[in-house]
Amino acid sequence: MKVIGCYNLKGGVGKTATAVNLASLAANEGKQTLIWDLDPQGAATYYFRIQPKVKGGGQGLLKKKKKRSLDPLIKGTDFESLDLLPADFSYRNLDLVLEENKKPTKQLSRLLKPLSQEYDCIFLDCPPSISLVSENIFRIADALLVPMIPTTLSARTLDQLQEFLASHAFNPNLQCMPFFSMVDRRKRLHTDLMAELPKQYPDFLRTSIPYSAEVERMGIYRMPVVLKNPDNPASKAYGNLWQEVKARLYGHLRREDQG
Amino acid sequence: MNAPVRDYLVPERTGVEEVKRMLQAHRQIAADPARSVIRRFYDTFDWRIFHAGGCLWEQVDSNTRQLFWEPFQSKQPQLKQRLTGEVSFADQLDLGPVRARIAPISSIRRLLPIVQISSRVQTLRVLNEDEKTVVRMEIEENRFEENPRNRHVLGARIRVRPIRGYPDAYRGVLRILENELELIPARTPLLLEALSAAGRTPGDYSSKLNFRLDPDRRADETTKEILLHLLNVIEANIPGVRENLDPEFLHDLRVAVRRTRSALSQIKGVFAPEIVQEYKDRFAWVGQITGPVRDLDVYLLDFPSYQRSLPEFLQPHLEPLRAFLLSHYDEAQKALAEQLASQEMQDLLNNWRAFLEAPAPEHPTAPNALRPTKWVADARIWRMYKRVLREGRAIDETSPPEDLHELRKSCKKLRYLLEFFASLYPKKEMRKLIKILKTLLDNLGRFQDLAVQADSLRRTAHTMSEEGRADPDSLLAMGVLVGGLLSRQAAARQEFAGTFATFDSPSHQRLFRSLFRTKKKGGHG
Ligand SMILES: Nc1ncnc2c1ncn2[C@@H]1O[C@H](COP(=O)(O)OP(=O)(O)OP(=O)(O)O)[C@@H](O)[C@H]1O
Ligand SMILES: [Mg+2]
Repeated sequence: MKVIGCYNLKGGVGKTATAVNLASLAANEGKQTLIWDLDPQGAATYYFRIQPKVKGGGQGLLKKKKKRSLDPLIKGTDFESLDLLPADFSYRNLDLVLEENKKPTKQLSRLLKPLSQEYDCIFLDCPPSISLVSENIFRIADALLVPMIPTTLSARTLDQLQEFLASHAFNPNLQCMPFFSMVDRRKRLHTDLMAELPKQYPDFLRTSIPYSAEVERMGIYRMPVVLKNPDNPASKAYGNLWQEVKARLYGHLRREDQG
Repeated sequence: MNAPVRDYLVPERTGVEEVKRMLQAHRQIAADPARSVIRRFYDTFDWRIFHAGGCLWEQVDSNTRQLFWEPFQSKQPQLKQRLTGEVSFADQLDLGPVRARIAPISSIRRLLPIVQISSRVQTLRVLNEDEKTVVRMEIEENRFEENPRNRHVLGARIRVRPIRGYPDAYRGVLRILENELELIPARTPLLLEALSAAGRTPGDYSSKLNFRLDPDRRADETTKEILLHLLNVIEANIPGVRENLDPEFLHDLRVAVRRTRSALSQIKGVFAPEIVQEYKDRFAWVGQITGPVRDLDVYLLDFPSYQRSLPEFLQPHLEPLRAFLLSHYDEAQKALAEQLASQEMQDLLNNWRAFLEAPAPEHPTAPNALRPTKWVADARIWRMYKRVLREGRAIDETSPPEDLHELRKSCKKLRYLLEFFASLYPKKEMRKLIKILKTLLDNLGRFQDLAVQADSLRRTAHTMSEEGRADPDSLLAMGVLVGGLLSRQAAARQEFAGTFATFDSPSHQRLFRSLFRTKKKGGHG
C-alpha cells in the first residue's frame, strides 16, 4: 500500500484537484484506492456528491477507549475501486483532539493500518497548514505531492517545507514531490519560474498542470475532470503526472508498477 | 464491511429493457453504456476453491484486470484486488485481500483456468437526491466458451452490487426487485451454471478414497472397484505431472500407485497369483521412475524450513543447495515426462484397465475371490493389526533401526486396508483408528525419513564440493542442517515408546477387536 499526501501550507493551489484526479486514475487502473478527505471544508467529499459527515466526528475516531476503526465510515464513490472517507466539519477540531492524545503524531497511522490490506493507494487531501494533522501525514505518507502556483514566493514556500521536514526527521523514506499547477503559459513570470525552480530543487516533477476552466468546473458537474473529460489538456497532464509519481514511488519494481 | 452481492434471474419473457423500464418507475436510474467483460474462473485441480465455498475469477474489461473472490452463499461480501501478473500460484499474486483469502486454501496447488464467461454488461446506477450512485445493478447477458466450437448462452442475470456506506438504499432496491418486479434470486452461482452447461461436475476429482462398498459383494469385484478408482486417480494426474503444474500431481499419482501395490498384495487371494505378481512389478517400475523428481520436490518444498532452522548468519549460505537442486530439476522432470509418455506406460495403463473392467471369472481359482467383501476385510485387517502389535511390542531401546522400518511398512499396510474398507465399518470409530495409526506412522516416518534426508544431504554436499559448487560456508550450513535433522530423528526414536504405547492402549485394542475379529472358521487371508 502506498500513502500519498497532497499537501501545501498554502491554500487554493490545487491540492484537492490533484488528490481526486490522481486517485481516479489509480482506481481506473484497477488499484483499490481510497481518498481520505482531511479538510473540514470537504471539497473532495463534495466532488463525489458524498455527504460530509463522520458519525462521532474526528473525536470519535481518535478516542482511545473506543478504538473506532475507519471501516464503517468509508463510502463508495460512483466509480469502481474508488472509495472515500468523508470530511467532517468537526475535523476543525482534529488538531485539538490530537493534542489530547498521548501519542498525537501516531494516531492517523494507527487508523490507517487496518486498511493497508484492502487498498493499494490511499490519497490524503490535506488542509492548508502545518499542524498536528500535517505532522501525522508526514509520518505516514510515502510521498508528499506539493502543488504550487508559480509565484515569486514559491521558492520560499518550498524552503520552509523542506526545512520543516528535515528538522523533524519524520520518515526517511518520505519522497517530497513538488510540481507546478494552474500554470498559465502566457504569463512570462510562470515560464521564467518554471525554468528556474526545478534547477534548484532536483525533486521537482517534470509534469505541470495547466490552468483550465474545465478543472474549475469540477465544482459544477461534481466529478473528477480526468473521468468527465479525459481529453482535456489538464486531464492529460494529470495522466502524465500520475505516471511520473508512479515511477518515483514504485521505482524499478515493475510488477508493482504495472496495472 | 460491505453487504454481499445478489443475483437475480431475468425472466426470458421480461427481457432486459423491460426490467430497466420498470425500475425507472421506482427510482432515479442512470444507465451507463454497455461494455464487454470477460471472466476467467480458476480453481485448483482438486477443487479447493470450490470446496471452500466460493469462486475465484479474473475479470478483464477494456482497461482493467482485477481478481475477485466471492462466496457462493453466505453473508460475506465479495473481495477484489488488482491483478498485474498471470494467475498461477496464489503466493505469486499481487498482495491484496483476495490473495490473503485464497492463499491458505490453494496453498501449493496451482490455480488453473476452469471456464471462461464472456458477458455484455449494462450498468444501471440508482441515484439519490444528490445524484450520487448508491446501488449498482449490472444486467448481464452471459455466454461461455470452452473452445470456439462449444459455446453456450446462459440466462441473463441482474447482479445487485451494494455500494459501501449505503446499506439502506441497497435493501430498498432488493425489495423492489423481489416485491414489485417479482424477480427470482438466482439459486445457482453463475460459475456452477456454466460448469453444468459444460458437462463438468465441480469436485469431480479427489484423491481421497470415498468408497461405499457392499459388504456382501464378492471380494474380487470389490477389489477391482477399489483398484479402478486408483487407476482413475493415476490417469487423471499424468497430464499435470508431465507439464509439472504443481508438485501435488506427482504426489497424488505416487500415493495412488503405492495404494495400488498395497491393495494387490494385501487383499490376498482374490486374483490369480500371476496377475498379482505381474502388476506389482509393473507398478513398482512407476514408483521408481517417479522417485527422483519427487525427492527434488520434497527438498524444494522443505527448503524454506531448512533455511529457517539455521542460525541467521548461515541462512544465505544454503542458497547453493537450492541452486544445485534446481539445476538437476529440469533434467529429472524431462526424463519423467518421457517415461510417462512411453509405450511401456501406455501399455501398463491399458492392460490394467482392461483387466479391471473385464467381468470377474465365473469360476475363479483364487481362494477368496467369491467370499463376501466384509469377510475378507475383517480377516485381512485383523491379521495385519496383530502383526503390527507383534512387531511393535518387540521393539525396545536396543532394537536396530531396521525393526522400526519393518514396523512402519506393516503400519502402512494396515492404514491402507483401513482406508480401503472404511465404509464397511462405523464412521466415527474408523476415523479414530486411522488417526491414531497416522500418529504412529508420523513418528516412524520422521525416524526413517530424517535419517534418509540427512544421508542424502551428506552425499549431495560431497557432490557439490567435487563440482566446485559449494564454498566452506555452504558446506558448514549443510552440516548444521544434517545435525538438526539427526537430532530431530533421535527425538523421534525417543518418542517411539510413548507413541506406540498410546496406539496399543487397552481401549484401542478393544476397538480393533470389536470391529475386526470374527469367529468364523477357516479365517486366513
Ligand atoms: N489546473 C487548474 N485550472 C483551473 N482551476 C483550477 C486548477 N486546479 C484547481 N483549480 C481551481 O482552483 C481552486 C482551488 O483548487 P483546489 O481546491 O484544488 O486547491 P486546494 O489547494 O485544495 O485548496 P484549499 O487549500 O482551499 O484546500 C478550485 O476552485 C479549483 O477548481
Ligand atoms: Mg483542498
